[in-house]
Amino acid sequence: MKYIIIGASAAGLACAEQIRKEDKNGEITVITKEKYLPYSRPSISYFLKGAVKESGIYLRKSSYYEASGIDIVTGTQVRSIDRKAKTVKAGRKTYSYDKLCLCTGSKPFIPPMENVSGKINALTFLDLESAGIIKKTADKKTRAVVIGGGLIGMKAAEGLSKICRSVDVVELSPRILPSILDEKSAKSVKKYIEEKGHIKFHLGQTVTRAGSEGNRITSVTLKDGKELPCDLLILAVGVRPETELAEKAGLEVNRGIVTDPGTMQTSDENIYAAGDCAVSVDMLDGSRRVIALWPNAVNQGIAAGSQMSGGDIRITSSYPVNAIDFYGLRICTCGLINVQDKKYTDKIIRSGSSYKRLIFEGSRLVGYVLINSSANAGIYTSLIETKTDLKTLEGDLSGTPDPFIFGKAERNKRMKGALDL
Amino acid sequence: MKRIYAIEELCLNCRLCEVYCKSAHSQSKDIIKANKYEEPAPVSRVTVYGDNFLSAALNCRHCDDPKCVKACITGAMTKDKKTGIVYVNEDKCIGCMTCLAVCPYGCIKEGKKAVKCDLCRNDDEPACVKNCPNHALIYAEPGGEEK
Repeated sequence: MKYIIIGASAAGLACAEQIRKEDKNGEITVITKEKYLPYSRPSISYFLKGAVKESGIYLRKSSYYEASGIDIVTGTQVRSIDRKAKTVKAGRKTYSYDKLCLCTGSKPFIPPMENVSGKINALTFLDLESAGIIKKTADKKTRAVVIGGGLIGMKAAEGLSKICRSVDVVELSPRILPSILDEKSAKSVKKYIEEKGHIKFHLGQTVTRAGSEGNRITSVTLKDGKELPCDLLILAVGVRPETELAEKAGLEVNRGIVTDPGTMQTSDENIYAAGDCAVSVDMLDGSRRVIALWPNAVNQGIAAGSQMSGGDIRITSSYPVNAIDFYGLRICTCGLINVQDKKYTDKIIRSGSSYKRLIFEGSRLVGYVLINSSANAGIYTSLIETKTDLKTLEGDLSGTPDPFIFGKAERNKRMKGALDL
Repeated sequence: MKRIYAIEELCLNCRLCEVYCKSAHSQSKDIIKANKYEEPAPVSRVTVYGDNFLSAALNCRHCDDPKCVKACITGAMTKDKKTGIVYVNEDKCIGCMTCLAVCPYGCIKEGKKAVKCDLCRNDDEPACVKNCPNHALIYAEPGGEEK
């Protein structure tokens, strides 16, 4: 069997490794347009601020791939897929496949702004290459402006605040981190980041145009007319699934690549898709959307790899779960957190700098936001994933969850692996 | 593989397991220094939950298919192929705590890096088991299939 995987991040690597587990002899080729072996994309902000060296960012040792019989072709962009001939074209080469998996991830979404395109100091922050360029050019004199106050923009801003003279964040939404925080918690997180990182926020704002000298941006103008001096502009408004190859090949695409939610098979039986380019079905509300988070990408990669090599691992549960920190402030979120419908209720527990919001649907937990209160968060996550009826629990959820919230049978399973000791 | 099992019927809530775990994972390996003076203070990887009426010491299950390993965004969390031990490579860990957010048992502790039980890798028997006064923790490889 010949397997081709396009893309070498979370989903691509997980897919390749799962294939190798289930098919010891198949030929596995992973093709990536990036010039690096698989690395931790979320770590690029840690690389930027100097907490991780470039050598420490790789997910596996370089000798691992040869030892595992996984061929990683770097710096190579796949141009097209020929579904009839079962080949992909990359550079001057044509690779044939029996099973193909698209793990093409996301591409940056850049809103229209006057005089920004093509400027050498306007950069996205999505890969190690861009992080490397930013690290080389930014210094104590740099006044950086980050457009986008989401996860990527805020992580870029945190990294930059350690190396730049000033950092301004421009965000369209009235609050920061809109995908993981609710209104109340966003306010306190913003205050904390302003104090710790000396970052200035411009919320409810967009950049309309940039002033420049030659091919360098020197300032940006906001919607309200305010002008900010700018030596480095980071474009982190958002991402869109990278579906161009799939679309050109005539696969079904609806925002992301459409797959069978259990097997990750696309509308072509020999082609699979996994990770940020593929549509997930959120088990908590049934919505079809891209869940662009690492654990989800890995699970999809594993399922796709298993199915491609004749195994039977399926996706049984997809939901968002995320952990992140800003200047030591820990934020852990899972499930449905920005829901309006009356069928959801919530409970907020505050004490000192910690904030805990639990979201319920009837007697089930369906989401949480934990700020500086993430101890044992995974127990909440497991209650969400297993759709546990909270009425069957013996303890209360407001404190730090522990094994004694469960009844004896479940506790026995957790402590003794259900063994009769 | 050998795993640690907790028996709530025998646990005294004395927390000696935590004391010895800290010591075993300290720089000094000295029980007094580790528990009283060392900076940064070592974190116990085992935690006793419950009260004097009913308690148990919870430790990493070293799962066969660990969620923490799959969720790790840096490749720092791995399951050793030979020993089955799930451990953190501290050079690679960035302390994001995604592992903590997915561990269904609540066995990963917060720190600058993720902190968890490594079954006292270099010793025959983990410190918590060795020093439990009432055999409420046992280290065993049960026969037959594990459930």
